[in-house]
Amino acid sequence: MKTKLVIMVASIAALLAIAGPTFAHHGAAAYDMSKPIVLKDAVITSFAWINPHPLIKCDYKNEKGELQHWIMEMGSTPASQLIGWTRTSLKPGDVVTLYVWQAKTGLPVGRFNKVVFADGKVMRDTQTGADNGGRADTGVGR
Amino acid sequence: MRNWFLGAILALATILALSLVAAAQTAPPQVKGHSPWKYYPMDRAVGDGGPAPKRDLTGTWAGPGSGAAVPKGTNIQSPTAPPLTPLGQQLFSQNKPIGKYSPAGTNDPHTRYCDPFGFPQNMANEIRGMTITTLPNRTFILIQYMDVWREVWTDGRALPTDVSSGKDGLDPKINGYSIGHWEDDYTFVVDTTGLDDSTWATKNGYPHTVDAHVQERFHRDSKNDMTLTITMDDPKLYTKQFYIGEEHFRWIPNQMLDDFTCIPSQVQQYLKEMGDPAGYDLNAPPQRTR
Repeated sequence: MKTKLVIMVASIAALLAIAGPTFAHHGAAAYDMSKPIVLKDAVITSFAWINPHPLIKCDYKNEKGELQHWIMEMGSTPASQLIGWTRTSLKPGDVVTLYVWQAKTGLPVGRFNKVVFADGKVMRDTQTGADNGGRADTGVGR
Repeated sequence: MRNWFLGAILALATILALSLVAAAQTAPPQVKGHSPWKYYPMDRAVGDGGPAPKRDLTGTWAGPGSGAAVPKGTNIQSPTAPPLTPLGQQLFSQNKPIGKYSPAGTNDPHTRYCDPFGFPQNMANEIRGMTITTLPNRTFILIQYMDVWREVWTDGRALPTDVSSGKDGLDPKINGYSIGHWEDDYTFVVDTTGLDDSTWATKNGYPHTVDAHVQERFHRDSKNDMTLTITMDDPKLYTKQFYIGEEHFRWIPNQMLDDFTCIPSQVQQYLKEMGDPAGYDLNAPPQRTR
């Protein structure tokens, strides 16, 4: 328990230490930030490490068994690198759980929140990666 | 005896001069295990580094978007303009900035097509880092984002006065025409005009004319700190001087920057697959547009 607390405090301190770099290009007005959509057992089909924002693409089967093709954007490449992302963090074929703030248009696109890998590892977005949709790199709400 | 003494003084002066040159060419300090070819935002200059060198801005600087915890500036990210003239209001109302309209609804030519920000926006928006270097008659400002370079003439020439009328054959330029001078040992002042008016002055959509006069004041606060203040006079569009803002820069120990630019084909992919389908919501609360 004590170890977990130390790790948590150290993680927050590390995130605070790199605060300030996350210039994204726009806000999140287009997205429903009230609750992320959870795509369990999504299969990554592509991870495009592009500017202005990397794109995560995946296939997801909903509760009805229907196949959906989702696309989500994340923080800019330099901002994402600061919290550990690289162009190979996600690979086609990876089976993961994705959390995404869906576009208000209702289409299967959105702003990435976080990914949970098969081994339990979690990686977050810079600008909307906190569980409340705030910035993951500062821990401060949006 | 006198010749010997003079010779010794000369030799000493030569050695000192050479040692200064050698010091200037010495590789910067490296953190163990870090590549000299990579920018590490956590490798930051410590403290102010001592007094500012006189009349010297040369080097590579971390800006507000660098990840190096550079102190925040004022007004610079989303400037508040002074009251606009009727023409200014008309032009401003045509612009749909990304902060309100999102990528899908904006008509910001940079967001949609990677068009250059143009000056002065390129000194205020996406400022992650920049390098300043000098020739005897010019100072170059190299902006990391979009790999932009600006040329500031320091040979005593005056700014052109009639770019918009074209009488002297000058066309407006994306970065305008710039001259610079040292106001004192620590303040380098750059004046610019002749700006291509197809660009926006600020990220939030304020316009400028060809005849806008922008002044930048680079102040070397210390060895490790520099402050830039930007103002714009454009009486056709604004009733008072436009204080665009102030931003801070910190010395980068290994003098490296990372790579970040807008690539048209990637932006088209982004807009087609992501930005446009996501749409926009004009009723959403004001958004931070960092």
